[in-house]
Amino acid sequence: MSEGLAARNGIPGGTPTWTRTTLVFAALLALLAVSLLVSLCAGRFGVPVTRALALIWQGLTDPSAPMQAMDERIVLLVRVPRVVLAALAGGGLAVCGAALQGVFRNPLVSPDILGISQGAALGGALAIMLGIWGFPLIAMVFVAGMVALVLVGFLARVSGRTETVTVILSGLVVSSVFAAVVSLLQFVADPETSLPAIVYWLMGSFSSATWERVLIASPGLILGAALLWSLRFRLNVLALDEAEAKSLGVRTERERWLIFALVAVIVGSQVAVSGIIGWIGIVIPHAARLLVGHDHRVMLPASILLGAAFTTIIDTLARTATAAEIPLGVITALVGAPIFAVLLRRHYRERSDR
Amino acid sequence: MTIGFPKAATRVRKVLPFMGLALVFALAAHPAGAQEVVFTDQANREVRLPKPADRVVSIVIPMASNLIALDGGTKKLVGMNPTAKSAVTQGILGKIFPEAKDIPSDVTSPSFVPNVEALAAVNPELVVQWGDIGEEKVAPLTNAGLTTMLILYGTEELTQGYMTMAGKAIGQNERLKALIDWRDAVRKDLAAKTAFIPEDKKPRALYLQRALTDLAASGTKGNYTEWSIELAGGRNAAAELVGTVTINKEQVAAWNPDVIFLNAFEAELDPSWVYKDPILSLTNAAKNHKVYKLPLGGYRWDPPSQESPLSWMWMANLLHPDVFHYDLRAEMKKAYKTLYHYDLADADIDGVLWTASQGDAANYAQFKAN
Amino acid sequence: MIGLSHATVRFGARTVVDRLSFSVPIGRSLAILGPNGRGKTTALRAMLGFQRLHAGSRTAPSIVGYVPQVSVNNQRLRAIDIAVMGRAAHLGLFRQPGDEDYAVARTALNRTGAAGYAEQPFDRLSGGERQLVLLARALATGSEVLVLDEPAAALDLHNQERLLVLLESLRQERHKAIVFTTHDPNHALAAADDALLMMPDGSALFGPVAETVAPAHLERLYGVPMRTVELSGPAGALHRAVLPAFAGARAG
Repeated sequence: MSEGLAARNGIPGGTPTWTRTTLVFAALLALLAVSLLVSLCAGRFGVPVTRALALIWQGLTDPSAPMQAMDERIVLLVRVPRVVLAALAGGGLAVCGAALQGVFRNPLVSPDILGISQGAALGGALAIMLGIWGFPLIAMVFVAGMVALVLVGFLARVSGRTETVTVILSGLVVSSVFAAVVSLLQFVADPETSLPAIVYWLMGSFSSATWERVLIASPGLILGAALLWSLRFRLNVLALDEAEAKSLGVRTERERWLIFALVAVIVGSQVAVSGIIGWIGIVIPHAARLLVGHDHRVMLPASILLGAAFTTIIDTLARTATAAEIPLGVITALVGAPIFAVLLRRHYRERSDR
Repeated sequence: MTIGFPKAATRVRKVLPFMGLALVFALAAHPAGAQEVVFTDQANREVRLPKPADRVVSIVIPMASNLIALDGGTKKLVGMNPTAKSAVTQGILGKIFPEAKDIPSDVTSPSFVPNVEALAAVNPELVVQWGDIGEEKVAPLTNAGLTTMLILYGTEELTQGYMTMAGKAIGQNERLKALIDWRDAVRKDLAAKTAFIPEDKKPRALYLQRALTDLAASGTKGNYTEWSIELAGGRNAAAELVGTVTINKEQVAAWNPDVIFLNAFEAELDPSWVYKDPILSLTNAAKNHKVYKLPLGGYRWDPPSQESPLSWMWMANLLHPDVFHYDLRAEMKKAYKTLYHYDLADADIDGVLWTASQGDAANYAQFKAN
Repeated sequence: MIGLSHATVRFGARTVVDRLSFSVPIGRSLAILGPNGRGKTTALRAMLGFQRLHAGSRTAPSIVGYVPQVSVNNQRLRAIDIAVMGRAAHLGLFRQPGDEDYAVARTALNRTGAAGYAEQPFDRLSGGERQLVLLARALATGSEVLVLDEPAAALDLHNQERLLVLLESLRQERHKAIVFTTHDPNHALAAADDALLMMPDGSALFGPVAETVAPAHLERLYGVPMRTVELSGPAGALHRAVLPAFAGARAG
């Protein structure tokens, strides 16, 4: 078992840190499994745990069975897609943060840095204002996120080259412009209908999760995360100094943009179905680094598992704590910011101890 | 039975139950100011007009159509919120008062941020603004020397309070009295009859204030539609909520409301949205075909408006068809004649009541034209 | 083979490298000599293609075993994981290093004498140890060209000796073209066949160490009087060394 897992993590050769890494991964998998199960059994509509588990089993073994009873539909049409979406989105956001922190060689970077979130936010706000719902809204969000990335790429390319710092600054510029337009939309939005919808959407929520949305978001989330994961060794090299990376045969600029594009696909898919969810992309990679170390080959999968479990737990809280849905952004900020502060202090204390 | 407009001039004005709200109409102390109008608004500020206002701007959304009703025309409304304007011009008021499309709406942003220059350009004698919206959206008005009346939203008492202030401010005391008396009469009639309905016979109704982006519902306190539901003999299924918040479908399933009322704000929303939803379609409300979208008349029937009594009668007839037998179509015709001097056609009524999309809902046949 | 041909690099109006030409074939070692700020590193970067040329051209294989002066890296990786990155070019975008790649990395660490701390975190190693790990990574690329930027600049005398012995033994094997920059002419004497002297007037002198690393040229290079001395090395054989004859220095 430990052999298999470690081989899958791509680190051959016996090393002393292995057993520990294997244990951490076993614990992370267990955490994810438990949080998924607990989340599926928890909800405002009372479904006994045994009944919920039986229904999940039925959904797995006989997915085409007609669903007539309310508890069946609640578990299989409301909770399962929501839990799946939360886990996929959380894993996706976390792996984006992990990859970007590597590419930028900066542990404080998060997926928002490329302007994708704000771009996607603008797409969503605009769609809500125009009274566009459903799939067209999702498409608009995704396209706007991509437009933001293209703008950042265009701005950041100075005389045929892209420097990391110009990417960050261009991301900042594009984010600010898009955020300003979102504010403008809020200013002119109908205070009775679109304004609260925009505000709620900007705070992020999985409350509107359906299987349809899972199907829309999961290709981007899964494919993006899988490709980032398969770039895990490359990320180790990309995280080196520019000249070093180039000398090792990495076409740094092109590969960086490949990673940015994958991040845009993931963040665009996530924002499209669940609005802006902050903090996960910055806090989870940090926590993963503390658990398994800096090597992207173990850090990326650890981030995915931890991000998926964390987001599932947070979303379970958001939908069960009160009769009202608590916006996810509120909880991730309340939980994420203090965790981040502790991690940051630890990070710099360790650094000064060295 | 029907409740008509009392003959306003001959009846003694009843003292309205203003809760903690001092509404004082001072008689002018000196003869030169015989026409002067002085009152305390809902933010406890003294508002003083040298004479009844002929030019009023409403930054507040529902006040625009309220002013039209109080004056029986659009003449005195010289500026309104863009959201109110789209409601007025797209709804039946646009048909009754086609000239409303020329009333400026650049005087404020939809989110109630006044544009003082545009306001000054229409030279208003009175500007109506919300009283709980923050000093930064009020100060520009007062600093510009505009006479401002601040009002509050949420209860029938507040509604009657600001209607009264507005009516006095434009010198329409008689029409005002008719409107207020009508509200009181319908309300008393409803309260008297629902008092005999035991709690467990009152259907649990859920009002969805938003449905298409996220589901939003409200607790009863301070929320007008929920209060209306109780007035009409229902119970608010979402009573445990505080304020207006987002909920999820699982919560709706847990409440399992007997009736679902959909808002009139979202144009694309109609009962089929509930019947197509895998969760909501299993609620008692959907199974019994008791899903109704609130009508859109001179204003949307969910928030307080000049047409609120019609909204209450519509709700009461739906919630307790065995107790209430208002002839809604006759009531509407009478009300529109009084409010807007307009003879409502049967097709107009069908449009207001959405009979095309919900005519086949339970108990909706009573609203059919004869 | 690696080298530059009539290469010119300008930073704004300043010409840092002026029509520089040299080439290092497989089997020879070149030391680029000069005081700090004379464009040694720029010439090296130009040769590697990290620095845009205003004129001229460069010759280099697509993969070069490059050893930076310091490795800027905030990742905490084991030394072996650093060394295995030398295999990146062979793996392409999506593949992960396997057992063979790790075997190559271990061989390289053995070659540089860094195998003892292969499992240690790289960022906890001393400067000299890191230099050897980075050299192992350069060897692991399998490239026939090795380029080292000031490899001895940050090292104490003992580690300088270790590194120079290693470079010299790589030179002796005659399998690689080796280029390193240094400001100490004795490093050239210890481990290079040829030297490139970056002169103060912007010109450069390129030729075998025996001819170029001579007092007259070095005086021009450093602006300090230089003397050659002969000393017996650890094995008894005579070594040539150059020393600055500083004006203030006195015997006894």
